[in-house]
Amino acid sequence: MKRFLKWFGGILGLLLLAAFGVLCYMAGSPKDAYGMVRYALPHMHRGTLKVGSDAPDARLLALDGSSHFHIRERISARPLVLVFGSFT
Amino acid sequence: MYVREAHPTDEWQMKSNVKDDVCYAQPKTLGQRVAIAKDFSARFKFLLPFGIDDMSNAADNAYAAWPERLYVIDETGHVAYRGGMGPFNYKPAEVREWLTARYGAVKHEPASAVATPPSTGSAATSSSSRPAPATTAAALTRATSTK
Repeated sequence: MKRFLKWFGGILGLLLLAAFGVLCYMAGSPKDAYGMVRYALPHMHRGTLKVGSDAPDARLLALDGSSHFHIRERISARPLVLVFGSFT
Repeated sequence: MYVREAHPTDEWQMKSNVKDDVCYAQPKTLGQRVAIAKDFSARFKFLLPFGIDDMSNAADNAYAAWPERLYVIDETGHVAYRGGMGPFNYKPAEVREWLTARYGAVKHEPASAVATPPSTGSAATSSSSRPAPATTAAALTRATSTK
């Protein structure tokens, strides 16, 4: 039994190491792999919206830092393109 | 639509952030988000209307937007196009195709290099002048102005 657990632990460790190696290759470096797992994965989610869904509304702050508007206020006779992103 | 930062200095900063002089900590207040958004707008002379998500990340959560995503909302208030999650599935060309299919092809003006002023906002960490990349969002909106 002890021997089996030893082998199982060893193989599991190798698999985890291999997975980390693949992640490092995908991300570019071990630091980036850690960053991806620690900071990116918790915030990534597929969401539930599909083509045809009602566009959710949200209250946003304008660039002047004081006035607000809602997404749905900008829906008009033309399609509205939403470009989500950040500076970094 | 400005959402939480993807590669801030206090989280997962990448080498390209340092190379491109885009170094900001993750904003902890709405004022800090506004300052970074203003820096972006000033550096790239961003002409499109800007919306900043509040600290509860309501818009981000509703649209699963982080780190970057494109949507087209039609006149009836429904999602007409939902882009993939960035960066690898962030494809402005698909939005262009949607708009072209709707409004027809447009003649594009050649993108001109824009001189960037030094950042002056409180969130800026250093000043630099560098030609700004063409904003794909600005190019996309030109497609809607013709029919």
